[in-house]
Amino acid sequence: MKTAPHQRLVMAGDRDVLKELLRRRLVECGWRDQVKIICKELIKENGQDITYDTLLSMVTSRARSLVPDSVKKELLQKIKNQLMSQEESLKM
Amino acid sequence: MSDHGCIHLNNFKAAKGIQPYKVIHSYFVTSTSAEARVRKAVSCLCHTCKTYKDRLHSCLHCIFFGCYVKGHIQEHAKTKKHFLAVDLSYGNILCFQCGDYVYDRELLAVAKSQWSESAKSLSLGEFYRAWEPTQIEAELLRKNPRRRRIVENSTIGLRGLINLGSTCFMNCIVQALIHTPLLRDYFLADRHHCPQPSRCLVCEVSHLFQEFYSGSKAPLTLHKLLHLIWTHARHLAGYEQQDAHEFFIATLDVLHRHCEAAPILVKDNPHHCNCIIDQIFTGGLQSDVVCQACNGVSTTIDPFWDISLDLGPAAGASGSDSSGPPTSLLDCLERFTRAEHLGSSAKIKCSNCQTYQESTKQLTMKQLPIVASFHLKRFEHSSIQDKKISTFISFPEQLDMTPFMSHRRNGNNNSASLDALPKNGEDTAFSDNRYCLFAVINHEGSLETGHYTAFIRQQRDQWFKCDDHLITRAKLKDVLTSEGYLLFYHKQILEYGRNSKM
Ligand SMILES: [Zn+2]
Ligand SMILES: [Zn+2]
Ligand SMILES: [Zn+2]
Ligand SMILES: [Zn+2]
Ligand SMILES: [Zn+2]
Ligand SMILES: [Zn+2]
Repeated sequence: MKTAPHQRLVMAGDRDVLKELLRRRLVECGWRDQVKIICKELIKENGQDITYDTLLSMVTSRARSLVPDSVKKELLQKIKNQLMSQEESLKM
Repeated sequence: MSDHGCIHLNNFKAAKGIQPYKVIHSYFVTSTSAEARVRKAVSCLCHTCKTYKDRLHSCLHCIFFGCYVKGHIQEHAKTKKHFLAVDLSYGNILCFQCGDYVYDRELLAVAKSQWSESAKSLSLGEFYRAWEPTQIEAELLRKNPRRRRIVENSTIGLRGLINLGSTCFMNCIVQALIHTPLLRDYFLADRHHCPQPSRCLVCEVSHLFQEFYSGSKAPLTLHKLLHLIWTHARHLAGYEQQDAHEFFIATLDVLHRHCEAAPILVKDNPHHCNCIIDQIFTGGLQSDVVCQACNGVSTTIDPFWDISLDLGPAAGASGSDSSGPPTSLLDCLERFTRAEHLGSSAKIKCSNCQTYQESTKQLTMKQLPIVASFHLKRFEHSSIQDKKISTFISFPEQLDMTPFMSHRRNGNNNSASLDALPKNGEDTAFSDNRYCLFAVINHEGSLETGHYTAFIRQQRDQWFKCDDHLITRAKLKDVLTSEGYLLFYHKQILEYGRNSKM
């Protein structure tokens, strides 16, 4: 069976490693704290019983726009490199 | 959303236990082994629409994967009356009867330990986790209700150090170490656990961090620290003035030896040690010797804690490009990494053509440390006289080390071995090699009557001058126009990856 790029990233563990890099970058640049504050405020406004889905729908687009370009660029480049080096090793 | 689940989850647990969650979580959420990752890659697709994304969930009751965004897991829950599902990205439990995610302490503990296992199986130290106080820490916080908010111009972390009779060389090194961001993070997070606290320099430094950040402003005396260094680095014993650079290296060495009774061996680290000192200060220097007859290259890589840079005019510079003395740090580094002709009197046996030949040697940066320490060799010791070179050498606030990297400078990325293939998280094309200045140590005055002071950076961009017990505010301009003896730069972007330093 031919494996898709996404599957190869999961198999090699690269996806977990890249995800961890992203997580740490978002912590480093303060994104995590910013989003946490937004969520806290929304919970205060809407009451404790707000569901995850409601919270998600209110926070997603704002949270996405807060991700710094440098982080997006770095991740994109690293995913690309990883896929390319997988391709290389498949050829060998 | 409470942390003791819901009645539905509790009923499920009473009937089936936590095994179903454990299995799903260890295979499809965290993947705690290579085998699990393969299974996850192959089988984590929505059974209805075949997507691998869109908030994939697994039914907790049976083997069914469904996406949430297009409603396929909801559909399954409704038709089969299987009302509990596990979110496959985060491992949280969704209860369709409650209409929301529910948290359960017991299952959260399972998840936590499986995340650790997964990180280990990937040779990542540990996944990032937000700090949660342990029971002891929570107790301490309750008993000490006073909190301090660090404001922009706070001076917390600054303390003068009493001169114990020409011990300014020690004081300025201590100031530089205390203001090394990653070292501070390590010590303030209480990460050193010690087998022999009474004789341990790391414990003493740990204690010093507590003193620096206690809020008190009175200057400190470093009796114990000095005593510990004297006992463990005997060549430094005595009250006379010492060289700050020598003291710095000796201190790193004692700290490294005390860090762990049994050092963790890590293959990728050139120093074969993963103690906090090596994680922060160790880099790898590549040396390429090229035979002039056959162009055969022999490459070695050695660990370093600092780079010593010559300031005099280049002696025996190869051919036409003999230049005057360096005037900037970049000049020094350019010269340090230039291919140098070893001369006709120093023939070396070439491992390629097996004959004694003239050769060139070039040093380049194979692996950069997190803290780059530069030693400007201002003191010249010779049999005739000792002298100090006081010429001004400019150095930048921000430094990019990219031009001095091995692959850049000489195209030789040690390609003789397979190790040179890009590893995970280490790709030479994208690596960011920018550094930021955070401490400068100066030697003022002459060789005999000199005095050491330090400039240190605190809170990102505030500079202070530390002159023994006196701490005064300084401007960046003062720092950059000072003479400079030891320069400390901190890497701006840290790499995280398998077997990487952090
Ligand atoms: Zn679907
Ligand atoms: Zn089911
Ligand atoms: Zn429920
Ligand atoms: Zn200790
Ligand atoms: Zn070590
Ligand atoms: Zn040769």
